Amino acid sequence: MNYALDVQHIAKSYGKKQAVKDVSFQIQAGEIFGLMGMNGAGKTTILRMLATLLRPDAGDALIAGNSIVKNPEKVRADISYLPDEAGAYKTMTGKNYLKFIAGLYFKEEKDQKECVARGKEICGLGDALNQKISTYSRGMTRKLVLARTVMTKPKLAILDEPTSGLDVLNSLDIRKTIRKCAEEYGTAFLLSSHHMQEVSSTAHRGAIMKDGEFLAEGTPEELLQKYQASTLEEAFEKAVRNA
Amino acid sequence: MSHLLKKELSELLNKQMLLGLLVSFILIVMLGFVMTSTVSGTLEESGEVHIIDLDQTDFTNQIVSKLEEKGYTVKSVSDTRPYEVILSEQNWNDAAVLPEGLTDLLLNQQEACQIDSVTVLKTTSTMSIAFAESSSADYVTSAINLLLSEIYLTEDMAFLEKPVTATPYTVANGKSVQANSAALVGSLAMFDQLMPLVLFLLIVLTSQTIITAVAAEKTDKTLETLLSSPVPRSVIIGAKMLAALITALIYAAVYGAGFLVSLLANVDRTAENVDIAEAFTSMMNTQDAVRTLGLQIPFLGWVGVILQLLLTIGIALTASMILGGLVEDAKGSQTASLPILVCTMFPYILSMVSDIRGMGSLKYLLYCIPFTHTFIATGCLRFHDTGLFFGGMIYQIIFLAGIAFAALKLYQSDILFTHQFANKRTKN
Repeated sequence: MNYALDVQHIAKSYGKKQAVKDVSFQIQAGEIFGLMGMNGAGKTTILRMLATLLRPDAGDALIAGNSIVKNPEKVRADISYLPDEAGAYKTMTGKNYLKFIAGLYFKEEKDQKECVARGKEICGLGDALNQKISTYSRGMTRKLVLARTVMTKPKLAILDEPTSGLDVLNSLDIRKTIRKCAEEYGTAFLLSSHHMQEVSSTAHRGAIMKDGEFLAEGTPEELLQKYQASTLEEAFEKAVRNA
Repeated sequence: MSHLLKKELSELLNKQMLLGLLVSFILIVMLGFVMTSTVSGTLEESGEVHIIDLDQTDFTNQIVSKLEEKGYTVKSVSDTRPYEVILSEQNWNDAAVLPEGLTDLLLNQQEACQIDSVTVLKTTSTMSIAFAESSSADYVTSAINLLLSEIYLTEDMAFLEKPVTATPYTVANGKSVQANSAALVGSLAMFDQLMPLVLFLLIVLTSQTIITAVAAEKTDKTLETLLSSPVPRSVIIGAKMLAALITALIYAAVYGAGFLVSLLANVDRTAENVDIAEAFTSMMNTQDAVRTLGLQIPFLGWVGVILQLLLTIGIALTASMILGGLVEDAKGSQTASLPILVCTMFPYILSMVSDIRGMGSLKYLLYCIPFTHTFIATGCLRFHDTGLFFGGMIYQIIFLAGIAFAALKLYQSDILFTHQFANKRTKN
């Protein structure tokens, strides 16, 4: 089967600390996969390895068939990475920022324009796109950077804590955007989160992580059933405390 | 590349930067004018002779006349109160005291005598000390010697007024020429001192700019966005460095223009006080001497100097990319630029106060700093030390290639994101 993402036994250490230990999982096109875990569980390290910012110590991952170890340059054309609490260039206007990012991914002006048009629609910031990013609220900035992540129609979008620090309404908007882009563009999403509610309401499948390992993996229903829990939060607590 | 370059330039060349540049230009020009005014003021003051005449005879009056005849403005008082009271009341910085009985000793008893030289100490600045060397007492002593020569020396002994004079010769590059070495240095100093100053400012400014820019990208996590995009990392680094280089050259042009305006203003003002024809002749003689001694730098030499200048900026920019990449946040960028600042300051200051090429074993340590070769480039060419000049240039090229390779490796590795784990645990 051709997966959008096929992670095969990847591992990463920082000195003596093993941040990720022999993790494997797959995501299909248009699927949303959530990584759940506490701080230090290894979520960001997995995302950074898949974003080709960190090199795995062992194992590999194929993104649209390209290896992150052997072909990181090819992988970068198929992915888009949104770091946790990522900012944007404050001296630019929102519109110019979208244009700049489109220019990194597309050479043809026509493609760039189409990409920016998608970005404008996705972020829904309207006239505010003509303002400098330095004037944006946290929620507006997050919507803008999410739009730039998905407007290029990547095969895999990697989102680190996409709604951290946002209010309820902004969080809901972001989740809706993720689901919409997965359906419309067939983009596979890999997102990390502390919030079980976010994963249960957004992701098709997810994994609970602790100390660099997957404790459980499956759909929200499968996880609830496995841990005999009524909410994903309860399932997470049981999984982490009993590990 | 042009896409990224445009973004980098829009980040660096913002309104604040251009405003700062304009203010810097105005400040440099103003500094030049202030310094010129200060020097002119001090020179005017040095043309004034202050005398406390306690003898009050025809001979002391002749001293005053002789000084006025030589073009000095003489201010004389006869006051027996303490010196500090008189100088404070007259607002003088110095005075020559002609003691009671001076005329009797010199003209009647024909004995050597002493006059008092009083100087008010107000500052320890070098310029004031330099001008203090020519005090009122010196002028008065010269006037007395001249008067006594006229009285006691017969006509055929008039040569004793100036029995010996020295004709200055300068030797350089195995040739000698009749010229004052100080005048030669003065004529060459305009560029030889301006260039290192501009270079020093350029290195410090551009390295700080790029370290701060990279650190800000790390803090805002926009660097992660860039590095995970399909643009080759060499292009990302190249665009950042090229943008910083363009910014640096704008700084260099503005600073250079500022200093040039100051220098021209200085020349213009000085010209008001001298005989233009005499100054022109003197300048032409100096230029002839420079040519005769082979001290002039040919066109290709200047091309080499500019190449060294660009190599130095390239090294500073690349080193800054590495240091900026290793900075954890924007706060650390000040400390990160310290190695570059130290490596620039040492050769700059030492090249200003001494000849690095003659510094014994210390010079080899300084030669290891690639910036040193640009600071001494004009000196090497003027004194035909082409081996050192081209050796330095080759060393700079090798150094730049090595450091550029290291920068590329750094940005292709994950050290940018993992080096902080050596000291502390972060979110993973």
